[in-house]
Amino acid sequence: MARTRHVIVGGGTAGLNAATTIRQYDRGASEIYWVSAERPYARMVLPYYLKGDISETHCMTARPARLRELDIEPFFERRAVKLDTQAQVLTLDDETEIIYDDILIATGSSPVRPPIPGADGDGVHSFWTLEQAQGVIRSLHDGCHVAMVGAGFIAFTILNSIIARGAKLTVLEVAPQILPRMIDQDGAALVQQWLQERDVTIRTSAQIAAVEDAEGKKRLRLQDGDDVLADTVIMATGIRTNLEWLEGSGIEINDGILVDEHLRSNIPSVYAAGDIAKGRDLITGQPAVHAIEPTAMEHGRVAGANMAGQLQAYRGSLLMNIVEVLGLEIASFGAWNDPDAEVFSALKPERSAYRKLLWDGDRIIGAMLLGRSNDVWTTNDVGMLKGVVQTGTRLGDWKAYLRDHLFEIKRAYIASGTTARLLPQTVQGSPSVPAAAVAAR
Amino acid sequence: MKVLRITPDRCTGCMRCEIACSYMQTETFQPAKSVIRVSSFEAHTSYAPYTCTQCDEAWCMVACPVEAITISAVGAKVVLEDVCVGCKLCTIACPYGTMFYDPATHKATKCNLCGGDPACAEACPTDAIEYVDTEQSDWLGVFAAERGGSQLVKLSGQG
Repeated sequence: MARTRHVIVGGGTAGLNAATTIRQYDRGASEIYWVSAERPYARMVLPYYLKGDISETHCMTARPARLRELDIEPFFERRAVKLDTQAQVLTLDDETEIIYDDILIATGSSPVRPPIPGADGDGVHSFWTLEQAQGVIRSLHDGCHVAMVGAGFIAFTILNSIIARGAKLTVLEVAPQILPRMIDQDGAALVQQWLQERDVTIRTSAQIAAVEDAEGKKRLRLQDGDDVLADTVIMATGIRTNLEWLEGSGIEINDGILVDEHLRSNIPSVYAAGDIAKGRDLITGQPAVHAIEPTAMEHGRVAGANMAGQLQAYRGSLLMNIVEVLGLEIASFGAWNDPDAEVFSALKPERSAYRKLLWDGDRIIGAMLLGRSNDVWTTNDVGMLKGVVQTGTRLGDWKAYLRDHLFEIKRAYIASGTTARLLPQTVQGSPSVPAAAVAAR
Repeated sequence: MKVLRITPDRCTGCMRCEIACSYMQTETFQPAKSVIRVSSFEAHTSYAPYTCTQCDEAWCMVACPVEAITISAVGAKVVLEDVCVGCKLCTIACPYGTMFYDPATHKATKCNLCGGDPACAEACPTDAIEYVDTEQSDWLGVFAAERGGSQLVKLSGQG
């Protein structure tokens, strides 16, 4: 009797986690075909590759030995171009046709550039793929001037690396503040000051009109204000979901593939995970695209479990981001900018510290943290805030305490009984098996 | 499997566990580098030591994009320093807040049960921390419940 054939499209975090999770549960009973346009690697660690801390090999995931151990049939450096959801056939760019029993779409997103003249010229880079990272590395040298367009999360994850490579950095952001989709105005002002004190030039409300060549350099023409001259331009101006190839497939899409609590689309044999999926937001309960690493991982695991016949329901994805720039930690969680929430905030500018908690009754539904990496409680509190938000623990009398002691989240956490709620709470409802230990048989 | 059993009522706040742990982790005496931490309550009249529960879900381990966290022979989730890049995904994944980051080494750090001979348990003079063969449990549960009242909140605010 033929084995069930699972097809996974996409070599990123979601696809990788789905593959290992299917094997965790079925121990090799099924076929897994894994299609990826690139050899799989961890996008999350590309900033450290850029910095020179790690080699290219360190970025690669799912190497041949591991694929063999997991009994996965790879179709790498091949692109999926057509999905026939009726016949259950996937077509690749080399015209290979793969018949599947079920399929996971995890093809993620791609970087976008502003629709301005010169945005695609030489010396203008995106930083998303391994190849693009290599292009940026080649372009950097000690003392070079880099203009980074966009001051969002992705831009900030590579900021340290650009400085470490000896570049002089100018950041241009079209919004009135940096990190407009991650932190509020007060937080952004603190971060901006921190960076400016460390010789990073920042211009907000800066709209680029064109990128031109200027005697071996690049000139960025701004709508208002002075032009910027740079050796290298990095466009970190957002990402867009890779949905075009699914047109006509019959899959219900609304900025992302709509999925239920089992990560299934409207078509039962089609699952979706990661940047491409629009699943439940843990805090709002509404469908949302969370193009972040933790969501891709959880989606991949739950989708994989369901594909392997485990009826697991996904509680929802918690929006969260953490990034450090030149010794300053920035983190935000959940409904960090909910206009209807009750807000507690505390700013200590002399310490570059900022905390903000957003409440729904006596539950924390969102939070923001800013602080120096060297201040012990900066990083240490992020996990606890995540735990409190994730469990929806009611803090009771501790809410009043936190109003006056916003930096004392640890006391409130320990006394709140959050840990009791956490012990039995798992994403997969069962003890985890280490990914490294998962083998086909 | 042996686990660290914590009995908060026995803790006197001496902090020897933090000193011992930091020494095991870094060969220096730096409580800030300890991966077990003691919190004070009720204006320093009660304490709760707190560390990684080596949980089944292993939030940290599954979050790591480069598989830098593995399970050791004694069942501890351990950070492999030469694989860890310091991306801090694990620190925001761990909902217990027991995943730490060392800004000096740029690596994640956590309790590794000292390879099976935890220094905190050895250092503790009152058996508030013990390394015993038992099920992991919510050690802080009773402590938390007893201290959830408004009386406690007021006193802790004075601490």
